[in-house]
Amino acid sequence: MATVTLKNVWKYYGETPAVKDLNITCPDGSFVSILGPSGCGKSSTMRMLAGLEHISAGDVLFDEERINDLAPKDRDVAMVFENYALYPHKSVFENMANPLRLRKMDDSTIKDRVEAAGKLLEIDHLMERRPHELSGGQKQRVAIGRAIVREPKLFLFDEPIAHLDAKLRAHMRGEIKHLQKSLGTTMIYVTHDQLEALSMADYIAVMHDGELQQWGTPSEIYNHPVNAWVAGFVGEPAMNFLTCDLQGNGDKVHLSHKNFEIPLLSEQIKRLNGARKAKQARMGVRPDALSISMTDPGEPSIKGKIFVNELLGGDMLVEVELEDARIRVKTTPEFNGKPGDSCHLTVNRDKWHVFDSGDGHAYF
Amino acid sequence: MTDVTNFENKSMLSGAAQLFRAREHSIEVEARPLTDALPEPTIFNPPAPKRYYLYLMAPAIAVLAFISLYPFFWLIVMSLQSVDIGSSEWVGFRNYARLLKDPNFLSGWGLLLKYSAMCLFMQLAIGLMLAVIVNNHRYEKYLVTALLMPMMMAPAVAGLLWLFLYNGTFGWYHWILQSLGILDSASILASQSTSMYAIVFVDVWQWTPLITLIALAGLKKVPRDQLEANMVDGASPIRNFFAITLPNLYPVLLIAILLRFMDNFRFIDHILVLTGGGPGNSTKILPVYLFEVAFKFFKLGRGAAIALTLLIVTIVLGMILVRVFDKPQSERK
Repeated sequence: MATVTLKNVWKYYGETPAVKDLNITCPDGSFVSILGPSGCGKSSTMRMLAGLEHISAGDVLFDEERINDLAPKDRDVAMVFENYALYPHKSVFENMANPLRLRKMDDSTIKDRVEAAGKLLEIDHLMERRPHELSGGQKQRVAIGRAIVREPKLFLFDEPIAHLDAKLRAHMRGEIKHLQKSLGTTMIYVTHDQLEALSMADYIAVMHDGELQQWGTPSEIYNHPVNAWVAGFVGEPAMNFLTCDLQGNGDKVHLSHKNFEIPLLSEQIKRLNGARKAKQARMGVRPDALSISMTDPGEPSIKGKIFVNELLGGDMLVEVELEDARIRVKTTPEFNGKPGDSCHLTVNRDKWHVFDSGDGHAYF
Repeated sequence: MTDVTNFENKSMLSGAAQLFRAREHSIEVEARPLTDALPEPTIFNPPAPKRYYLYLMAPAIAVLAFISLYPFFWLIVMSLQSVDIGSSEWVGFRNYARLLKDPNFLSGWGLLLKYSAMCLFMQLAIGLMLAVIVNNHRYEKYLVTALLMPMMMAPAVAGLLWLFLYNGTFGWYHWILQSLGILDSASILASQSTSMYAIVFVDVWQWTPLITLIALAGLKKVPRDQLEANMVDGASPIRNFFAITLPNLYPVLLIAILLRFMDNFRFIDHILVLTGGGPGNSTKILPVYLFEVAFKFFKLGRGAAIALTLLIVTIVLGMILVRVFDKPQSERK
């Protein structure tokens, strides 16, 4: 159990910075997910926490203790690797017992702890098998088991379920979250899958190009992205972006596009007027903040033509063609528009976003 | 999760659970053949007859038979004869019976095992150490090139080189050891107590790089994540080496040991050049004795008998080695 703090942490590989001036504080007992595309520096961050990479600059603190110069074995962290990294010449039991044996615990304690972990992860019937006799899901459980027998200060999970098939991945998401809550140990979980981060974490750190983009709870990240990059990365199906003109002044501002002209809410105008620089801006709206109808709804709406319908089981995704772009709308499977029909999209203006057309930061 | 190999249970599970459980089956279950949904082809392309391959291989088999199988059987026949130049006489197993009473034969075995064991142990220890040092070193390429030089030398030439270095009048090593007071006035190679070690030293000098090279190739394939996992688990670097690196090296080390152990049983270039088996019989390992009997005294029948015992022991030891090292990883504790 520990509060993990990264203070102005940098990682250089030769001349190339992989992590730039990272500041994160993970509260004690929280589940923190580091989210980003490959090459964003999330794995480097995790490896610096584990002690497998030198910290080029800055400090890493566990509670108040600076651990920059401690060897991995002295940091009391447990890590689960992407490829499980099980020891092929050892049985499941010995794999899980390894960290305890290295700490010279006595045999009966080791047996108790490994068996308890085995029961918890439902692998107690596999104890005598070797890793090559296990399926992917079982290997993954053994790897987690090896981490939890230690009762460490901090768990580091490096994309642990990336190699499982979709069904099992969904199952393990719930299991890992439950496990973390019941153990109460701080966990840092690296992933490139925004769904994993949103569904499991207490806090998400979104990284891009080695820089922290946003820190917040899943709902903050999803509902109030700080910039267009975060907004586009998080959420499936992805947010729609449209370049619009900002027209009007004072308390009457509206977004204007070839297909629509929609006024902003007064609260939004206040936030925009303070910071606004350009005449243009990017509007961002998630597919589920739009609603589609075949008739004119009588309020400001976007006029377009249906391009294609995709039925996703419980939902229907409609791609609508505008003058210069296509946007996607989520609706119910009962929707009966045909490709080629013209339609109207109304925007839930509480849930739309306007981003600066230059650096992409969010006005709201 | 109950017994995952139990198939009957599967049908009782709900659809979603079934899918989940399907992944839990061991690989063997998943690899079972499935029903072929495609129609069977009406015409099969007939496979080429086996005989066809035999025709193609015949020339190679003939050459191989001529250069290796024929001499091998001839060796067995010869070992049962008393062969002299121009004449031969059937003697049955008398050659073998004589070997058991031959003190040179017995001491030759003893010396061979001692020589081979010393060489192997030193080469393995030093070779592994060098490989670990050189691995991922900043100057790895240059170091490997330098290390390989002794190996590139013909063994007889290496023997001659060391003959000069050991020389009692102007030899470098002789001079150094004598200056340090380790050696008395006797020459290194002329003393019964040092000559064997001198030869072992030359063998180690020439062939350790081979072990280094093989071990280096093995080190490159040790999975990094296992090393890192063990480090995070709490292992020190030395512990890490013995727990992860070494077990991963076993397969390549087996090849290295097999090569070196068989070479030690066959190559006598160093000994012939340096001591010729002397002084006394102190370096007369079995292959040297074999060379003497067969090609100095031309007792080809007895020579054949010695060669055959040497061959059999080599094969048996080789098989034992493979057994010990090549156990599937799952069987080793």
